[in-house]
Amino acid sequence: MVKGSESAVTLVDVAKRYADIIAVDHVNLDVKIGEIFGLLGPNGSGKSTLLKIILALVQPDAGSVTVLGINTTKNPVAVKAQTGYVPEVPRLYEFLTGLEYLDFTADLYGISTTEKHERITEYLEALELEGREGDMISAYSLGMKQKIALISAFVHRPKLLLLDEPLSGLDPRSARIIKDLLRELAAKGITTIMSTHILEIAQAMCDRIAIMHEGKLLAIGNMKELRAKAQLPGSNLEEIFLTLTGTSDIKDVVEALMK
Amino acid sequence: MKWKSVLSLIRIDIRSGRLIRGQKLRAYQESRMLQYVMYGGTCLLGIAVGLVVGTVYSGVPDPQDQIALLLGVKTLFIAAPTLVLTYSLIFTMMRQIQRAGIKASILPPYWLPFTWAEHTLAAIVANLIGIQLAALIFVASAIAVVSIFLGEMLFALLTIATVLATAFLASATTEIFRVIQVRLTGAFYKSSGTKAIWLRFVGSILLIVVFYAIYFFFTSGANFPAIIETLASGQQTVWFIPYLWLGMTLFSIVTGQISEAVAFSIGSIAFLLALFTVAVKLNSQFGLYEPAAIRISVGGYAPRSSMWRKLGFSAPEAAIMRKDFKAFTRRRELMYFFALPIILTMIYLSITTSTPYFQGLSAFSALILLAPGALMATSMSSMIIGQEGAPVWHLYSSPIKAESLVKCKYAFVVIVSSAVTLACSTVGILVVRPSMRTILAAIIEAIFLIIALSAVSLIMGIKGASFVEIPRPRMIRPVDNLINFVICFLLAIVILSPLIPYLGPMIGLTSPMPPFYPYLALLISGIITAIVSYGAFSIAVKNAKAFLVKAEM
Repeated sequence: MVKGSESAVTLVDVAKRYADIIAVDHVNLDVKIGEIFGLLGPNGSGKSTLLKIILALVQPDAGSVTVLGINTTKNPVAVKAQTGYVPEVPRLYEFLTGLEYLDFTADLYGISTTEKHERITEYLEALELEGREGDMISAYSLGMKQKIALISAFVHRPKLLLLDEPLSGLDPRSARIIKDLLRELAAKGITTIMSTHILEIAQAMCDRIAIMHEGKLLAIGNMKELRAKAQLPGSNLEEIFLTLTGTSDIKDVVEALMK
Repeated sequence: MKWKSVLSLIRIDIRSGRLIRGQKLRAYQESRMLQYVMYGGTCLLGIAVGLVVGTVYSGVPDPQDQIALLLGVKTLFIAAPTLVLTYSLIFTMMRQIQRAGIKASILPPYWLPFTWAEHTLAAIVANLIGIQLAALIFVASAIAVVSIFLGEMLFALLTIATVLATAFLASATTEIFRVIQVRLTGAFYKSSGTKAIWLRFVGSILLIVVFYAIYFFFTSGANFPAIIETLASGQQTVWFIPYLWLGMTLFSIVTGQISEAVAFSIGSIAFLLALFTVAVKLNSQFGLYEPAAIRISVGGYAPRSSMWRKLGFSAPEAAIMRKDFKAFTRRRELMYFFALPIILTMIYLSITTSTPYFQGLSAFSALILLAPGALMATSMSSMIIGQEGAPVWHLYSSPIKAESLVKCKYAFVVIVSSAVTLACSTVGILVVRPSMRTILAAIIEAIFLIIALSAVSLIMGIKGASFVEIPRPRMIRPVDNLINFVICFLLAIVILSPLIPYLGPMIGLTSPMPPFYPYLALLISGIITAIVSYGAFSIAVKNAKAFLVKAEM
């Protein structure tokens, strides 16, 4: 499967509400195969809920979700089998060692013994976890835990990657490896939807970006399209983001704090 | 030493302790009235006991009897410090064991401006707050009131002071023990690798079992006067142990040896200060030490086919079972599941060996084979989903089917509980020596109970799963847990009901049962088990389907 015009993820009029809070407000979205798609938004804007809906972890109140041609409500297991997921705060089984953990996740996806040996060894080496793989995860730093969570998302060679703040806590070398890896995977037709607060990363990596605010999709497109939408020609993503989400009163806030 | 800092630190410790025991982490509010109800209640109880004893003493007409009663009360006073020492050591250490298994362990707020002496003093005092303090208030108020009737107010005041000092002594010892244990554990983990896992598992279970054994010995109420007598007279022969010097001070006063009383009291104060100094030194050196990680494997990765795979489980099912086995042998809060049947067996054996009436009863002999596994299956199955905790997102996001999830969790509980039942049975059979017919019937019934109760508990375990980890892993909502235990208890009675005639003399049945009856009874139990288990399994699968698409994370 290579990059093309076929849809990897299609959301039609998807809505989700938790009591009085509207988490996702009638979102329509179409992510193409092989795209690296960025999901931006302030805290509580509904990004993580949207990722969970795509992975069938949360059932939407309205609308339909199709992932790689599969309806997530009708066949959630098939969707999960083809997806790699890293949540915003990946809580791991701390009583396992890094190796035991990766072995466990590989088995959950039914990877053969030879394949999992090859892949796990490769990833551990690439992300410089060799030598610590036999330690219990409880002793790992945040960055090491993030690396383990990322490897577990990649290890079964999924067709779709849903990554919530994937580079959080990573050292520069590992972050670079993950970024390059995502690009290589995209070239091979693997779709990535990532949520991030680091706008520079989104701008540099993503083919298209969606900006969410209070459950709604405010804007969607590549940098050129976003600039046009925000009517800020030549601006960077930070300026576009602050303008579209109505949070550009930074100067006033700082002045108030300094008083 | 800034006393205000000490008080603040004690308050922090008490509050965090309540949070650990409590249900609410958010929106938690202190209720001042509720906080002091326990202390006020025990104070009133102590006064009431003192009044009763005092009134009895005043009402004794014979002066000889009055002297005997006075001597008895004084013996109790002399034994009080040693008794309080024993109780305080048990309770403070049990509290530390309880805290050790809690995720949100209480670390000293080292970034705040206080000294290690202040922190250590606060930790020692805070460790006594709660049941220990309530018990101390009870003892002190009872002694104070009794002394008014006896006309021994000064001696009573001294007794109260020594009792309080002894409690402090016990808590200081626990603090020293805690710091040393953390440091030694760290050193052991660093050097032992995989061995550390198993030694920690066995060590933790042994520690729990030993403490519960001591606890039951002292709280069972059996031979309490004999314990008092032994403590009062025994401390004279081992007077050189500094922990007993406070009791020896009282003994010397009663026997009129004032110089020895002064020597023992000075010695006690010196010992107390020495213990405190050691605790401060240890805390300043290792107070912020966190045990190193256990390195389980070194070298390359060599995936192996697991035992569960060989038993016919699919790769994802076997992976979850393998992970659960590691969880139950590596996580301290889950090791209790293995300690529980051992404690039950111990209690049972102590009752059987000390009460001849029960020894001849086959129904009672059968209990040792039935109870541990059934209880383990019920509790383990109700918490097998909730024990996943925050990492439950793996189950949500992985392509595991509801049927597979229920199958592997259920099989795990049944296999582990059956293994534990067989181990406990072996011990029971060797000690109690029931008849072969009793052994066979009880083991078959035990397996029936495990099969049925595990399936029923799994329904509640999925429906009531709680993944809250802070302040401590909750695993199942308390209400669901309670409902589950009631249901399982009733269900166990239903499954065992065909065997009720075998209670024989206990229920007034004397006529012998026909020879075919045991087979019929087992068959009926088996049919009930099969129907219940099948139904419960189906409901559990239905619950699991709903659970997997409603991610609570």
